[in-house]
Amino acid sequence: MPALSNMRVSFRLLFVSCVMLFAPLPLAAQGVAQEHAKEQVQRQQTQPLNNAPVWRDVRGGQHPYQTSQVRGIETTVLVQSEGEIWRQIRNGPITIYGGWLLVLVVAALGIFYGWRGKIMLGHPRSGRLIERFGPWDRIVHWSTAISFVILAVTGLTTLFGKYVLLPMFGYTLFSWMATLSKTLHNFVGPLFALCTVVMFFTFVKDNIWQRGDWQWLTKFGGLFTGKHVPSWRFNIAEKSWFWFGVTFLGIIVSVTGFVLDFPNFAQGRETMQMANVIHAISAVLFIAAALGHIYLGTIGMEDAYESMRNGVVDETWAKEHHEYWYNEVKGQGKAAGGAAAPAHASAMKEGWKL
Amino acid sequence: MARMKFLCDAERCIECNGCVTACKQEHEIPWGVNRRRVVTLNDGVPGEKSISVACMHCSDAPCMAVCPVDCFYKTSEGVVLHDKDLCIGCGYCFYACPFGAPQFPQDGAFGLRGKMDKCTFCAGGPEPDFSAAEFKKYGRNRLAEGKLPACAEMCATKALLGGDSDVIADIYRNRVLKRGKGSEVWGWGTAYGKPEKQPAAQPGAKS
Repeated sequence: MPALSNMRVSFRLLFVSCVMLFAPLPLAAQGVAQEHAKEQVQRQQTQPLNNAPVWRDVRGGQHPYQTSQVRGIETTVLVQSEGEIWRQIRNGPITIYGGWLLVLVVAALGIFYGWRGKIMLGHPRSGRLIERFGPWDRIVHWSTAISFVILAVTGLTTLFGKYVLLPMFGYTLFSWMATLSKTLHNFVGPLFALCTVVMFFTFVKDNIWQRGDWQWLTKFGGLFTGKHVPSWRFNIAEKSWFWFGVTFLGIIVSVTGFVLDFPNFAQGRETMQMANVIHAISAVLFIAAALGHIYLGTIGMEDAYESMRNGVVDETWAKEHHEYWYNEVKGQGKAAGGAAAPAHASAMKEGWKL
Repeated sequence: MARMKFLCDAERCIECNGCVTACKQEHEIPWGVNRRRVVTLNDGVPGEKSISVACMHCSDAPCMAVCPVDCFYKTSEGVVLHDKDLCIGCGYCFYACPFGAPQFPQDGAFGLRGKMDKCTFCAGGPEPDFSAAEFKKYGRNRLAEGKLPACAEMCATKALLGGDSDVIADIYRNRVLKRGKGSEVWGWGTAYGKPEKQPAAQPGAKS
């Protein structure tokens, strides 16, 4: 019998200690709420007509004493003030400055093209080709590029379409365009995030700081003087685009994009407002930088587009734009087109027929 | 011209959820969508207060300002309505709304939320009054029938008032004078504190 009662006592002790152990946890979480409640009780006695503590809770958000029969995300929040802040930021600086930034970038590129024209090769083509981008490089680049362009166009439609496209196309047609934009954006987005990761690992090894990069940077690659400055496989401008654009902005838009694309994880409105602001700012910067990249990769420079389209460049191009890389490739005898006859070179220019 | 507003008297609301039920019944709203809800502050504490909340039909409505397709419009009576045919279900109105009024029928993986649904002040939508299409998308158009919103009409304690701003404000003022307390007009600063935005000039929109 004493053994049994001892056991009872020890069980009781165990129970009590358990309660003691876990009691402070919810108490700590509810501490603020309890204080509010106490304040309310006190106010009822001292100033029965003054309901200030209650009205403070209207904007206070969620705590255990604020309830609703309606279940859902933040249904117990009566007024969320952050929505107005989000509205002011999105409809204000993001739309106004973001929009003008893109217009300015396009205008600057137009002016630059008018002044400098297409940057042509300084010497005649050698007819010998060097492989610059292998098949995998090109698949990764174009998957990322195509998904980026889709996201940029659909994203811009969502942010600026109301001011630009809606007056042109009217409510019904623009609504269809916006529906298509939203759906494409939400499904292509995750694909772009995947591409960004693959892109990083594909190109990172040639985007690390190398000797000679500083010299290129101080002369800005001769972009304005027309004098070519030697660089490795990628010059420092391309490396900046890789680190700041593809990697940094790519990760930011991807992460914030996922937050916005999957509201089914019951994240609150404030989370999505912040994600939206960060997403929009980085996306506008991303598009502005990409415009420069696309310009130099297409109409801005001779043979730049062909290098990513066909994967090969003429030796003259390599020597003029990426001399260190050219020397490296020649030195290693790795040149794919090194032994290629001029006849073969003309066939390679056909690209897809190869 | 009357300016339609909602006013909830927190001294009278007894958290019966009659307004929520009346709304769901009147408009045959699907599961998971609640155009109106009742929130209780300091539940279980002496002096607890309940407030019924839905779309307040703001003067300068944030939903209207952020909608990327401009699907919202305001009637001449100040009721904020939207066109579900134009709505793309992006959820921006839900981010912006201070009262949590915009509702979506789906949970939204890949942003597939469906068309936004919210309180219409029982004023239907852009379709012709009393048409089947209007009822299916927006519910009953009681204002066109000469009636006030079902939630306010149904309220047993007359805590929830819905109607012409001047009339309901007068009723409330009389109550405050008689009882000598509870003068806070909940949500009015947020909803009607800014200058009225002119009704959007949208083609085909009813006034």
